[in-house]
Amino acid sequence: MAKDLVNTLADLKEQEAIEIVKDRLSAGDDPFKIMEDARKGMEIVGKRFSESEYFIPDLVYSGEILRVVTELVKPKLTKTTESKKLGKVVFGTVAGDIHDIGKDIVVFMLDVNGFEVHDLGVDIPAQKFVEKIKETGAPIVGLSGFLTLAFDSMKETVEAIKAAGLRDKVKVMIGGGQMSDEIKNYTGADAYGKDAMAGVSLAKKWTGVG
Amino acid sequence: MPVIRDIPLSLKTREVLRRQGLGGGAKVRPEIKSLIRELLASVKKARLLEPAVAYECYTVSSMNGSQISLEGDKAIHGPLIPAIFPEAKKLAIILCTIGPRLEKQVTDYSKSGETMRGMILDGIGSTAVDMLVPEALRLIASEVSSRDYETSSPVNPGMPGFPLTEQWNLLGLVNADEIGVSLTASGVLVPRKSTSMVIGIGPKMTRWTEAEVCARCSLRETCHYKVTG
Ligand code: B12
Ligand code: SF4
Repeated sequence: MAKDLVNTLADLKEQEAIEIVKDRLSAGDDPFKIMEDARKGMEIVGKRFSESEYFIPDLVYSGEILRVVTELVKPKLTKTTESKKLGKVVFGTVAGDIHDIGKDIVVFMLDVNGFEVHDLGVDIPAQKFVEKIKETGAPIVGLSGFLTLAFDSMKETVEAIKAAGLRDKVKVMIGGGQMSDEIKNYTGADAYGKDAMAGVSLAKKWTGVG
Repeated sequence: MPVIRDIPLSLKTREVLRRQGLGGGAKVRPEIKSLIRELLASVKKARLLEPAVAYECYTVSSMNGSQISLEGDKAIHGPLIPAIFPEAKKLAIILCTIGPRLEKQVTDYSKSGETMRGMILDGIGSTAVDMLVPEALRLIASEVSSRDYETSSPVNPGMPGFPLTEQWNLLGLVNADEIGVSLTASGVLVPRKSTSMVIGIGPKMTRWTEAEVCARCSLRETCHYKVTG
């Protein structure tokens, strides 16, 4: 039975996965174990994505299935078994840029993968990032941008974080249309992520869970 | 300055798939295909597309390695255009948009946690604005054909040799207000699903395919959306 959920989720069979979860819950199965299987299924999804068997839409679809599964299991989790959020992430599209869909996809994938994401929105001034980091104590910051115009804004955001004395307390990742490792160096960020999965992997690495 | 509206757009699932990174024979989940079909129908029903094109043709008065001068003391800067359109007698500046309604719906989907819908609808919007381009080119080509002139393929600010800062210049050369397109202080086109471009017009103009553009693009190795073949 346990194996079924892992593979059903990995094969992105939404209805079947939901049925399995419902059956296991009514059979009194440990909700923590169900979530553990779901996590294993998502790991396979990530692997298939990195091997180009799956694409971004498949990834987002897996996230939507995982979210339904989590909603079903959540009420059965007791305080002790309730899975803790993996870590906090402050995320936004930098000042001067108003593109949201790329950011929204990464935010969604971080959220369903267990991160507490504080999404600031688009066209976010550097100072707003600084304030949110202070307020939440988040150790991870994600900066999104679409055009080359975003490069300087990203650099200014990283500098503002530094000026506020927070640079050694946070890891900064950047991503979006024109970003690259070269731009990562220019902006002073810690890493560049080429897609939503890369964002999740970086966040997991930095929180020590992946 | 001419403005065209009511441009019929027939959006193909295949083209929408490419903008999801699912071009070139990628295995597509039936759920994704049916969501695309559903969203294409809803785009029509809710009239989310308000396609509009503004353009203007200018006579070339002179050119050097870094700019093309146009009639009326106007100029387009950057080395790209003089390098690829040395034979141009005229340039047409073109601005295309699908209006703000579709992207508002994308944002609403994302905000309500319907990320998949938002993402696919966003791709539909990109497909739609891309499809306006050949329509505009066809129209301009038929206008200039009576003088035995040809039209080139388009180039956009943001391409190497054609700086993004030229967006301000281009918007001043067409009737951008009339089709509701403007630039943010940082230079992003609003509505987001808009594009600006320049084509060369003359007796013999160069044309290229989308695949040829991709083959020369610096992002080709990693780009999920490239056109091949
Ligand atoms: C589709 C597209 C368009 C569409 C839609 C634009 C839109 N965003 O709505 C249209 C046709 C309208 C368009 C217009 C323009 N575009 Co355009 N466009 C693209 C294209 C092909 C894909 C972008 C896209 O929508 N991707 C889908 C989304 C979901 O992906 P994404 O935002 O990149 O996000 C993903 C990842 O990047 C990542 N990610 C995003 N943020 C973050 C953050 C972190 C921390 C991490 C880890 C990951 C991450 O995760 C997301 C999901 O996997 C790119 C090329 C490319 N390969 O990126 C060019 C591209 C971005 N465009 C470009 C240009 C030049 C333009 C124009 C300026 C052209 C013009 N003169 O009109 C205009 C500007 C429009 C404007 N509003 O100002 C250039 C940019 C060059 C530059 N100098 O900046 C590019 C790179 C193409 C090129 N090679 O020249 N564009
Ligand atoms: S390879 Fe370059 S030109 Fe082709 S779609 Fe990707 S970004 Fe655009």
